[in-house]
This record gives sequence, C-alpha cells and structure tokens, in this order.
Amino acid sequence: MKRGVNPLTKVIITQIVLIFLMMVWLIPAYTMIINGFKSNSEILSSKALVPPISFSTYAFQQAWAGLEQPILNSLSVILPVAIISTVFGSMAAYYFDILSNSFSKRNKFFSDFAFTIVALATFIPYQATLMPLTRFMVSINGLGTYWGLIFAYLIFYLPTGALLMSIFISVVPARLTEAARIDGASDLRIFFRVVLPSVLPGFIATLIFIFIMSWNVFFIPLVLVTNPSMSLVSVSVESYTGGFGTLYNETFAAAVLASMVPLILFMFLGRYFIRGLMALGSGGKGV
Amino acid sequence: MVEIRVDKVTKIFKAKKKEVVALKDIDLTVDSGKSFGIVGPSGAGKTTLMRIIAGLDVPNKGEIYFGDQLVSKDGKLIISPEKRNIGMVFQNWALYPNMTAYDNIAFPLISHHLNKETIEKRVKDVATTLGVENVLTHYPREMSGGQQQRVSLARALVKNPSILILDEPFSNLDAAMRDSARALVKKIQDELKITTLIVSHDPADIFSIASQAGVLLDGKFVQIDSPLRIYNQPKSLGVAKLVGDIITLSGNMEVEGNKRFVRIANLEFLIPNSSEHVEKITFGFRPEDVKISVKDDLTDYTNAGKVIVKVSSYSGGAFRIIVSPAESEKVEIFAFSDVPYEINQSLFFYYKQDKLKIFPQ
Repeated sequence: MKRGVNPLTKVIITQIVLIFLMMVWLIPAYTMIINGFKSNSEILSSKALVPPISFSTYAFQQAWAGLEQPILNSLSVILPVAIISTVFGSMAAYYFDILSNSFSKRNKFFSDFAFTIVALATFIPYQATLMPLTRFMVSINGLGTYWGLIFAYLIFYLPTGALLMSIFISVVPARLTEAARIDGASDLRIFFRVVLPSVLPGFIATLIFIFIMSWNVFFIPLVLVTNPSMSLVSVSVESYTGGFGTLYNETFAAAVLASMVPLILFMFLGRYFIRGLMALGSGGKGV
Repeated sequence: MVEIRVDKVTKIFKAKKKEVVALKDIDLTVDSGKSFGIVGPSGAGKTTLMRIIAGLDVPNKGEIYFGDQLVSKDGKLIISPEKRNIGMVFQNWALYPNMTAYDNIAFPLISHHLNKETIEKRVKDVATTLGVENVLTHYPREMSGGQQQRVSLARALVKNPSILILDEPFSNLDAAMRDSARALVKKIQDELKITTLIVSHDPADIFSIASQAGVLLDGKFVQIDSPLRIYNQPKSLGVAKLVGDIITLSGNMEVEGNKRFVRIANLEFLIPNSSEHVEKITFGFRPEDVKISVKDDLTDYTNAGKVIVKVSSYSGGAFRIIVSPAESEKVEIFAFSDVPYEINQSLFFYYKQDKLKIFPQ
C-alpha cells in the first residue's frame, strides 16, 4: 500500500507557505506604517524593515495637516464618480442585455456594436487622451472645476462600469426578468427590483474596483486641477518627494493616510467584493 | 376570459448557419375558459409555442390572436407581454429571490399601480385560497418546493389574468406533492374558468388538468383531442408511447374466410374486420388491456395462446412480467400482474380485442 503524506505535515507545510506569501504581501504595508512612526534622522540611519526605536507620531500629524483637504477633495470627486459609474454602468449593461435578447436583428447588431465601443473605451489608456481631454474641458469651461473633474473621470470609468456589470448581468436568469415583464413591470422597475438585487455582490465589487482605480489615478487630476486648494490625494502625495530633498517619514505617513480610505472601504465591503469575484469565476448569478 | 387562436405559426431558430425548425405551420384554438394541454418530448417545440403565446418570443410566420385581438404577427409583437394579461407559472417558478412571498405575490399589482389596501386584500385572499397565508413573510429560500409552487401560482392568479400559462409546473415536486398540486390547479381552473395552457412532458399533468390536449412531435401537432381519446385512440405509435406504456407487436396479416388475424409464433391476435387490409401490420395494447394467467379462460378477454415467463420483477405496485410465446424465444412481450410467476412457468396470454390499436406503418 502506498503511504500518503501525514495530514498534519500537509497542514503545516501549507500553513508555512501561506504565512510566507502573506509576509511577502504585507512587507510594503508594514514598511510604510513603521517608517511613518520614525523621525527623519532615524529613517536615514536605520534599516527600512526595522521597527522605530523612538516612537513618534509627528510625521503623521504633519502629513495629516497637508492631506486633510486633498482627502476631502478626493472623496467629493471619487465617491460620485464610483457611484454614478456603477449605477449608470449597470443600467447600460442591462440595456445591452435587453437589446441582445431582443427579437430584432437590428437591435442585436446595435448592442454588439455599442458594446464593442464600450469595451474599446475601457481599454484605451487615459494618458493617451489627455491632450484632447484637456482641450475639451477648456472648451466646456470645465477646467479647474469639480464637475469638470467628475465628468472627465466618468468618461473613463462609466464604460468600465458598464463592461464589468454586463458580465454580472448576463448571468441573471432570463426567467426572472421574463416573469417580471409578464407581471407588467416597467424596465426601470425590473432593473431596480429584480436585476440589481440579484447582482448586488457584483455591483459592490464593481463599485469598489472603480473607487480604488479612480482614487489612484494621477494624470487626470494633475492636468485638470489648476487650483492647488482643489488638489486630489494622488497628486498631493506625489508632492512629498521634492526636487531638493525628501522627508521620508512624512512621505511614508502620507502614503498610509492616502491609502486609508480605500482600505476602510474594502474592510467594510470586502466580503461582497470577494463574493462578486467568486460569482464571476463560477459563472453563478452572484447572489 | 379569452379564446387563444394560433394561426399557421412557424418558428425557425438560426444558429451558426444551421436552421432548426421548432414549429411548422401550427394551427390551434383554445376555447375561452377551457384548459388545453400540450404534451411532447423534449425539443418538440412545446416551450417555444408557449413562449410565443406569452409574447416572450415571436413567430417567424403566422399570427396569434387573443379573442379578436391580434397580438403577434410575422416576427413582430403587436401587443407586448405585459399588456397581454397573462398569469404564468415558470418551470422553476421564477420567484424573485430578494423578495418575501408577500412581495412576490404583490409584485404584479404594484406594477399595475393599485392602491395599498386593494393590494393587501387581494394578496391575502389569493394566499388563503392557495394555503400559503402562513409563509407570506418568508423568502423563497425559506420555503419548501410545494410552497414555492403555490406562491408562484398565487403570483400568476392575483392579477385576475385572462390566460393562465403553466410551463412544466410540477416537474420539481416530489410525487406525492405533485398529485395535490395537480388537484389544486384543476380546482382553481374549474372555479375561475381561466383559459389555461399547460405544457408538460408528463402526460399525467395533462390528463389531470386539461379538457383538450395536443401532442406535439417535431414541431407539429400530430393529434388534438380529449386526453382520454389520445390515450385510447392514438393516431400513431409515437403518440401512443408518449402518453403511456404500450405493448407493441408486429407481424403479417392473414385472412381466413372473414377472419383476419396476425400470428406471432404460436400466438394469434384477431384484427377487427373494419381495419384496412395490409400485409405487414404493427399493433399494440395498453398494459391494462392484457392479462397473463394460468387459467385457460377469462371473461371479457381473448386468449392468444401459451407463453413462457422469462423475467419477473416488481415495480410500482405490480409485478412486471416479460413473457415469450411458447414456440419462440425471440419475441418478448411485457405485461403487469397482481401475482408473481416463476421463471419458465407456462401461462396463457389474454388481450381485450376491442382495445387493440392498429398503427400505420
């Protein structure tokens, strides 16, 4: 009889591998946090992975003073962007779904055509379109305004929302929407009462994805924000690495603070994110 | 209540240059207030026809009328499904998983903008009729299959539909529950006199609910009749097999004076004189119209000759016995019996002459 590996050994090996991977994964976050608590002289003299000898919150206080306004600015731009992109993206995805299941060939063709354009829009790197985008913003008087900034983000993230949500919406069982149609519900009612609740984990996954992606975007706010008091987090964090010298401890503290918002969001809604991804993988309906 | 008229409906599905004809020139009339059953094997076009009538699909050619109103014509929806006033029970019931039973049943009424008091009264009334008043606060996942089916039926009935469509409504229930569900649907149909269309691959559903039925084979109605006539006088062997067990035999027709018969080894079956004279003939019996016995005479039955028991098994309340004519092992015939028999036991094979069914070749 063939001798198998002792189950205990198996568990231990798996755990060791997992702990190792987790450590590799956590090193950047760990370095970022501990170095934020060092003084600038200690950071220059000590190794990056060694914890601080004298524990100081000075760098965090300094960074917070500089980042408080940019974080608020970012929140007031990114929250509407994420919500509008996901809600309207979902609606667009549902619309494509209706069209592609329609009896008319013309509708099916239109759905395929429009969907291809949406997919293309998602994959165009936004850096490539910065010049025309800036010209466009100037022409509609949107440069240096919150609404202009939100609008610019939406141009890139609405198609992403539609594309991601169409993957989730296409697996909603047709019989549910058909039942709702026979029950006399309007398209809007079918969308909000039947379709959206069925893809809620997918919806939240998309919301988090767009939030984090747009939170980290650097070039759009760099180019479209003309007023320093309107500066967003991604740009403000960059300003800590100056041309004449770098305050490393404040840079680390600023990086921690800047990633706090997406992290908190993920902590509260992360399980939906995972469930959304799982629904995608298993081709399930995401409920 | 409204009459459904299907006029020369053809439906073709195209997939990668291949054409599949799901329905060929179908004609059908379901009288107002009557219940009609569509029976057929998988892929015969039953569900397609039902979806076209519901407005969830359109015919490539042909017309659908509800009363005098044209609702679909030649690839176009004239009246959309939400305006057809149809109640529908889907195969998997299609309850909204995010809503309680109450909200599920109230959904069509809210869609039609009724006031809150009316909605509450109507939901409670229909829930009481269907015996689901105790589960109104439950979500579909918290209900049994039978309860989900009743809630689904309640949702279909709450808007007082003029047509009720049932798509394999009992296929997900266990056998005992299926009987009570059939009885409930039959009772409600009798009381409300809603024009009902029931689609099922299980003939028992059709027999228990429908007053008229159609057998759909390869996109065509092969026979439209009362369920009992379809069972007793099937137009073809295919129809006969579809609606129940059938014992089939074939042989050469022989004539002696004014007597016509078929001989299969030592067994002799009398063929009615009214039947057309053909050389080769296929005929059959329902299992309840044949008997095997040790006795050499049975009233009401005709003795075909001696048979030998080959296999004896017990299934569903009766013994299923496979016998062969005494002089030929090649032919095998099954029959049901109340008592078991030994292998190689010699018996007589009896049949009811008036129940013999002749099938065209």
